Order: sequence, then structure tokens, then C-alpha cells
Amino acid sequence: MFPLSTLAAQALLIGGVSVLMAVMISVIDSIVNNYGDVQLDINGKKQVTVKGGSKLLGTLADQGIFLPSACGGRGSCGACKCQVKSDVGPHLPTEVPYLTQQELRENVRLACQVKVKADIGIQIPEELFNIKKLSCTVESMTNLTYDIKEVRLKLPEGSDLTYTAGQYGQIEVPAYGGIREPSARAYSFASAPQEKDTLEFLIRLVPGGTVTTYVHKFLKVGDKINVVAPVGDFRVHDTQAAMICVGGGSGMAPFRSIFRDMEARGVLGERDIWYFFGGHSVKDLYFMDWLKELAAKYERFHFIPAVSEPGPGEVWEGKPARLIDVLAERFKTEIPRELAKEGYLCGSPGMLDASMEIMRKNGMTDDKIYFDKFA
Amino acid sequence: MSYVDPITLLFASIFTSNIILANFLGTCSFIAISKDLGSSNGLGIAVIVVLVLSSAISWPILHYILIPWNMIYLDLFAYIIVVAAVVQALEMIIERVSPALYMSLGIYLPLIVANCAILGVVLFMEIRNYDYVQALIFGLGSGIGWWLAIILAAAMRKKIDKSNVPAGLKGPGITLITMGLMAMAFVGFSGILRVQ
Amino acid sequence: MSIPTFRQVTKENLSVNNPVLVQVLGICSTLAVTNKVVNTLIMTVGVSLVTAFASFTLSWIRNLIARRVRMIFQVLAITFYVVLFQLILNAFAPEVARSLGPYVGLIITNCIVMGRTETFAPANRPLISWWDGFTSGIGYMAVLVLLSLIREPLAFGTIADFPIFPPQYVSDGYNWTIAIMAPSAFFLVAIIMWVFKTNGLKKEEALKASKSASAIGGAA
Repeated sequence: MFPLSTLAAQALLIGGVSVLMAVMISVIDSIVNNYGDVQLDINGKKQVTVKGGSKLLGTLADQGIFLPSACGGRGSCGACKCQVKSDVGPHLPTEVPYLTQQELRENVRLACQVKVKADIGIQIPEELFNIKKLSCTVESMTNLTYDIKEVRLKLPEGSDLTYTAGQYGQIEVPAYGGIREPSARAYSFASAPQEKDTLEFLIRLVPGGTVTTYVHKFLKVGDKINVVAPVGDFRVHDTQAAMICVGGGSGMAPFRSIFRDMEARGVLGERDIWYFFGGHSVKDLYFMDWLKELAAKYERFHFIPAVSEPGPGEVWEGKPARLIDVLAERFKTEIPRELAKEGYLCGSPGMLDASMEIMRKNGMTDDKIYFDKFA
Repeated sequence: MSYVDPITLLFASIFTSNIILANFLGTCSFIAISKDLGSSNGLGIAVIVVLVLSSAISWPILHYILIPWNMIYLDLFAYIIVVAAVVQALEMIIERVSPALYMSLGIYLPLIVANCAILGVVLFMEIRNYDYVQALIFGLGSGIGWWLAIILAAAMRKKIDKSNVPAGLKGPGITLITMGLMAMAFVGFSGILRVQ
Repeated sequence: MSIPTFRQVTKENLSVNNPVLVQVLGICSTLAVTNKVVNTLIMTVGVSLVTAFASFTLSWIRNLIARRVRMIFQVLAITFYVVLFQLILNAFAPEVARSLGPYVGLIITNCIVMGRTETFAPANRPLISWWDGFTSGIGYMAVLVLLSLIREPLAFGTIADFPIFPPQYVSDGYNWTIAIMAPSAFFLVAIIMWVFKTNGLKKEEALKASKSASAIGGAA
């Protein structure tokens, strides 16, 4: 088309014009748009000093915090909503069409439209800025049953992970054997948030499962493993209602975390709790002594184990019954109907659905049933 | 193509070949912003200003730089960089100089820096070989057409909001249907004048 | 941020978050050519490739340049790939290039390209950014090609210029003039969106529930 030299000259020209424009923007920017350094406060937990003059969305991106945005900060999608705690002026007409009445009242803003000119405080979903990838070391591995392992991981120095009981982390395992890509799966923390330097997981071996197989067959004490955490919003709601908790098998994990957390905060005895735990046979049960101890220690803590089919030679004091049948029965016999109740469920989709059905039948509403479903 | 006199061109660009209803340019911000009449008016006016401005800047670039230097194929680079830079600079200056003007005009500018309508008008100007007056008129007319479309749509949406729209069609869906009906109405103008 | 996997990205872009249907983004640059299947295909392939490569480039240089200057780089990178695509099109399919007119250039201002390069690419690695850009484009393509598959037969009695109705359909004026013109595109996008959204409303509820609870312990 053209001699190469002409092409090079033209490319140079375009490059030159771009640089010129970039310089022009930078100069104008530094003259008219200079607001100096400002303090940015995120969720009241993290304070950073940033250069003023940019849009909030971009300022956050510089800090490695990426609010969702589909249009790239051009005010066309309304995805980058965030609550602003300090006064940044009234809502702009470019924001209003995207916000509901309630959001307007709560001073929810579009981060791509709000310019950071002075000190500013914002509230964003915890997981957007709190989630970290942590390189942990395996501290211990204990067989709780024939197929459930308790895995304790030591957090890296100075990682300062904060989470609420009930949240989970994604464990990443490297490519191994016939699995060519690294994979990650989510597991609830079983440790109490008060334990600052370790994380604990209860991991059941799922036949054919990529991550569980790796954890059970290949992972050794001393190995490094990555955990992305904390994620999820399964947690205890701070009310006086009775907690009806159902979590069989490895579904005990979030409850172990929750009960240990409540005990550490000294509130375990302050509300009624029924915990339903069970398995097929007696050899599926674990942490029985701990749970029985809690029940003995706290009058309002009721621990109800269930075994559906005791194996040959196993001794089971109660009548063999499925966990959900025991749940239904206890609703009839010992959980007072007039009591305000909240449901907390963790386990397989089938178990969850069955439990929810029973709870609904007993007058509980869906908005008071919280669950953590195994995928 | 035969020479189109400026008045005809003005009306054609507002009505018959409306930038959004006939050419679909600038739909992204249109759908969301048309929810609110005040915002629509502000954005519409900003589009008019930027369209005239970008036509005014791009025409000389095309005729005094790109064509003589035989580098038309780099037109996209030239337009997008210069227009974006000028609009961005304008926004920052307005913000410092006049807060009132900034609230009514300036805040909309970043939304349309890289709006399809801006680039589209400039490219149409190039393809249809307009002279400078035509280019300015075309920019102005397209801007007015866009402004007209969005305030009409916003006014209609005020009513639609109160009516019972199927759940799946709420929001963008019904807006698109409104735009379709408006497009049909605007097609009706083509009986009056036919200009491409 | 949790690190997205290729499969998650694919699923997000192709169903849950289809850029056209859920966010109504980026239709400006292509809607005008959807009365022909071939034009639509070429435009959407262009959008996919430009988004993919621009995301790749932006992700690759994400740690090298300051944010203020990045905006300019972003526009330059996108424009570079669009110009490249335009030149290739001019060389190998001048006919199509002519009928697409200015719309190829308008890929630059496509919201999807802008959005992916502004939000996904700076936060992720090059390869997954490429994949994210590409699948976003494919989701976009699926909707617009469907649109053109409805418009072209009604308007011209053909699909990809291959006649499916007898010639009398057009010559005797049975064809739908409205399908040639702009309003039909608005209506059809609205209808496709309606179907998609109604279908998705129930799923969305379920999705919300499982999102809030997400996966723990169970399957691997």
C-alpha cells in the first residue's frame, strides 16, 4: 500500500499526537484538577491516602479494589453502586436514573460519577476489599471419620484475616495426576474467628472429587496451599430467636465455627439452640464429646444426633431415624410452636430442601431460614 | 451525491435520519438515562454541544491533515484521540470555572466522550463528503435529533412507569419498544424529505 | 477478589450476564446492520476479536502504566485492533466492508469493548482476559445473529443471501418493509429480551439464593 518509511512516519505522527494529547490532558489535569492528597476510608476499616481529582471508581481501582462495572465507568450501566458515608454533594442527574428511592435516601452513589475531592468515607460489600489470597501452610491433618478429615492451616505471617463464623474460603489445589488445571472449591471455616493465625476445615472425601481427592490423598503436613478468603454471607443473625440448626456430615463445619465463636464471646448460653447432626451409621459421627459437653454445660443448647442405619455391630442408643425425620419429630415434641425461630442449614441440596419444607410446615417463613448449600 | 442545502440537511438529520432512531447510535446511555426527564434534558444538551464541537474539530483534521498526507486509513485514531482529549479537557475546565455550568452540562461530558453517536456523526461526515458548513449543520441536527428523542422517550416513560408492564419487559424492554414506536413515527417524516 | 476460572467466565458471559440482554450494552454499533445475516456475523466477529485482543493487551500492560495514562492506552489499543480489522476486511471482503460503512469503526465505542477492557482486564491475567473478551463477544453475537436470522428472511426473503422464499416474495411486495427498517430491530431486541428475562426471572431467584449461600464442603 505505502512504502514502509511513510508508514513508519505516519505511525510516529499518530504516536506523537497521542503523546501531545496525553501531555495536554495531564497539564490541564494538574492545573485545574489538583485537589491534593485526600483520605479514603473504606468500611471504617481501612484508611488510605490517595490523590484527589479522580472518580471514585478509578481511585478504588488504583487501590486494587474493583467495584463491578459493565460499561467501564461511563455511567451507562449503573453497576458500580457504593454507599458514601461522607458528604460529597447532592446526587448528580447522571446517577439518579439508576438509583431506587431507598438507595437515594441511603446516599448510595455511582462510583464512576463521584469525584474524590476531599476526605471521603465509603461502604462497600465486605468481600470486595477483604478477600485475599493467602498462602497457607498445612499444620495438621486429623481423620475425624473414615472419610472426613480435619485440616488445620497456618496463615502466613501478618495476614490479618478477619471473618465471621459461617463464612467460607476457597481452597486451591495445583494440577496433579490426570487433572491438568489447578482447581478451587469452597469449604466453610470450622475454626473460630478469634483464632487469628489458623484456619480449620472439615473436608469429606467425595469419590471422584478433584479437590477432596487431592486433600485426602496427596496433601501432607508442611505443604503450601492457597486459600481465597473470606467469602459468603452465611452467619448468625443477631436476634433473640431460637436457632434451629441442621448440618449433618461435613455440614457441621460452619456450626463448629459458629458455636465456638459464640462460646468465645460468651453468648452461647443466651439463646435457645437446637443442633441436629447425623449420619448413616455411628462411624459417620464425630466431635460427639464436644457437642455433648456443650449440651451439658448450657441449658439452652440442645444437641440432637441421629443415625439412620447403624452398621452391623454398632451400638446406637436411640431409634434409627433419618436426620430430617428426627427434625420433624422434635418440632412436634419439644420445640415450642410459639417460640420465635430462625433456621440455619448446611448440607446437600436434597437435605436442605427437605429441612426447609419441614420448617415451613411448622410455621417458619423463608426469610428466617438461612442456608449454606453444598454445590 | 448531489449537494444538500443546509436547511434540508438540518431537518433530515433531526427527523428522517435521526441519529438514534434510524441509526441506533448512542443507545447505551439513552436507555438508562431516559428514565429521568431532567437528566435526559441535560444529557441531550451535552450531546448537542459535543456533536457540534467534534464536527468542528474533525473536519479540519480530515481535510487539512488526513487527506493531504494520504493517511485516511488512520482516521479513527485521529478522531477518537482528539475528540476524547478535547471533551475531557473541556469537562475539567468547566468544572473549575463554573460550578453551575458543570452541574448542568459538565457532568454529562464524560458519559459521551466515547459515545457511538459522536464517532458515528464524524464518520458519516467523512463518508458523505460534507463541506464545513454541512458538517457543522449535520452535527447540530444530529444533536438536536438525539435530544428530541431522549426527552420524548423520558416523557413517555413517566407514563409507562405507572402502567402494568409484564415483569420480563420492565425497564429496558419496554423502553426499546417505545423507541421502536418512535422510530416508526419518525420514519413517517421521510415522506416530507428524502436525504441520505 | 476471588480468581475467576475459565469456566465461570464462560458461563457468566454466555448466560447469566449476557451483555446485550441483561445490560443492554453495546447494541449501538451493530443494530443497524442486523437486517443482513452476513453483515451481522462479520460485525460481531469483529467485536469479539477486538474485545479479546484489546483485553489481552490491556491486561498485559496493566501493571506497567499509571491509570490516568491508561485511558489513552485503552483507546489506542482498541482503535489499533479496529483499524486492523477494518484493513483486513477492506482487503478480503471489500463488498461487505462497503455495506458496513462507518459501523466497523464504531466498534471502538462499543460499550462491551470499553467495559471489558476497563473493568475485567486491569484486574486479571492476560489469557483469561482474552477469553473473557472473546466470550463476551460471543454472547453478543448469539443475540444479534438471532435478530438477523429473523429480520433478513422477513425483509428480503433470504438467509445469508441464500433465497428461502420464492422470488415473488420480494418482487410482488409480500416482504415486510418494516423488517428492513430500524423500528423492527428495537421491537425484536425487546421481544428477545422479554423471553430471556421471563425465563431467567425464576432462575435468577434460585441463583440469588444459591449465591448467597454458595458452595461449601460438599461436592468437589
